[in-house]
Amino acid sequence: MTQRIITRRQFLKTSASATIAGALLLDSRGSVFGFGEGDARSRVVLVRDENALDDLGGAREAVIQDMLDRAVTALTGKSDALAAWRTLVGPKDVVGIKSNAWGYLPTPEAVEKAIELRVIEAGVAEENIAITDQEARTHPTFKRATALINTRPLRTHAWSGVGSLIKNYIMFVERPSAYHGDSCADLATIWKLPHVAGKTRLNVLVMLTPLFHGVGPHHFSSEFVWGYRGLLVGFDPVAVDATGVRILVAKRREHFGEDRPLNPPAKHIQLADTRHHLGSADPEKIELITLGWREGILI
Amino acid sequence: MYQSPVSSLPVSLEGWVASGKDSVYDRTNLYDYLDGGAELYLSFGFRTLVNRTYSRLGQPDIVVDVFDMGGSKDAFGAFSLSRETVAREFGQGSQCTEGSVLFWKDRYFVSILASPQSPEANAVVLTFARLIDESIETESPPPEILGLLPPDSLDERSIRYFRHPAWLDAYYFLADENILHIGDTTEAVIARYGSQGERLVLLLVLYAKDGDARRAYEDFKRYYLPELSQNAVVRVEDGTWSGCKVEGRLLAAVFDAADNGRASALLQSVFDRYRANGRRS
Repeated sequence: MTQRIITRRQFLKTSASATIAGALLLDSRGSVFGFGEGDARSRVVLVRDENALDDLGGAREAVIQDMLDRAVTALTGKSDALAAWRTLVGPKDVVGIKSNAWGYLPTPEAVEKAIELRVIEAGVAEENIAITDQEARTHPTFKRATALINTRPLRTHAWSGVGSLIKNYIMFVERPSAYHGDSCADLATIWKLPHVAGKTRLNVLVMLTPLFHGVGPHHFSSEFVWGYRGLLVGFDPVAVDATGVRILVAKRREHFGEDRPLNPPAKHIQLADTRHHLGSADPEKIELITLGWREGILI
Repeated sequence: MYQSPVSSLPVSLEGWVASGKDSVYDRTNLYDYLDGGAELYLSFGFRTLVNRTYSRLGQPDIVVDVFDMGGSKDAFGAFSLSRETVAREFGQGSQCTEGSVLFWKDRYFVSILASPQSPEANAVVLTFARLIDESIETESPPPEILGLLPPDSLDERSIRYFRHPAWLDAYYFLADENILHIGDTTEAVIARYGSQGERLVLLLVLYAKDGDARRAYEDFKRYYLPELSQNAVVRVEDGTWSGCKVEGRLLAAVFDAADNGRASALLQSVFDRYRANGRRS
């Protein structure tokens, strides 16, 4: 133990302001990290619509499409959705839409379709688009992909704290379990592998029915899922994940009636910022734009 | 031939029928079934998992998982990590949520899950839990270190027993390195005392040898609480009190106490119990 050790006490010294460690490690509002690269803030768009889900909890396609359009337009600062998508992908691109197939809470088909439709409208040939989770490393289209769009639902996770956008790229490696050490601390390194680095054009964290607590070997109970009816969209996966975690933590506090930190903490998101400089997890360095339904927004 | 409590279940019940052969996993292939979730069980003494899935047309699948954890300490440990309530509807401790039952008994940790849940499936989940509970004929004691937790104002729901440092991170992040040397040869338990606003946290770690405990204490003092040189309990940056003592194989640490007296009294009570037990646990 010769390297610099980060301890809880360092967080406590600056406990007045909200920051990374607060949400990700301690569930307090303490600050110690502030050394992200540069001063530019990462823009994250949260869009919500109370009609996003049908009576059975399924995603309504038309509403999801509208939510995604509004979010991407606000994210890019363009005047309409098509103009916005054309800044992300174009006719020369081969696009891999990295989804998530976890049985209890997969990426909804409505979200996949909404992304795919706009990618096609932005000029990408249909044969140059693929959607997959498990085959991300081996799929022929992904192998020649010039652009990636990353989408998955946010959920708590028994080992890594949360199933995050950062973690969603674990299928790009041959042996995912090799990244499980220390609560998946260094997942961000996957984003720097040659076949992944620099390709991600958009991150869509699905917050329609997030899982805020898990029990048992499958880490799932429908009791701990709620209809938040949102999407979090951004270029910076760390910023989007960190914002999602703040919402989860707030929901846990509301549900349990007391502070209830994530178990385990989402260490990999914190380290994606402070160790791997993939993006910013510090709320002070995130520009959060909120659109739509505000009831129960929790942030 | 390994006999799992799963074999006590009927092949069909209320229209649900077991689909295919039971799946059996060990330490080498648990990832195949619980990718990302396997570490919890591997961080204990997990030996074998037998999984059976029941299906019924128009109803959710019911997934039955019985983990043989090798011993009752680790069965309790695996159960404790997701416990939210103190109940004993099944086995030696259980937690029931909508469509889900978790319980531990003897060396087994049992999970039965219907998802999405339905009233019919929920009833069958409870029946399966009862049948498995009845098929495990023996009970075994929980970890003895739990007996060192002073009972006064203890929040029993919060008790977490573990043997891997990741779980200390999970329940009370201290440092990004394993400064307390928690590992396979140690037993640790963490629990909350008091209620919201007056809460404090007690951590006990029992080492294999006295020297191991002393070395962990020295590292804790060096990296986390250097003020321990003067006092066993000290005030930290947020105004709360933290403390740590070591004796024999036992290290006890208290965090977030509102005052020095409460922290000191809790530590004292722990070591009184340890000594009364002949410094064994």
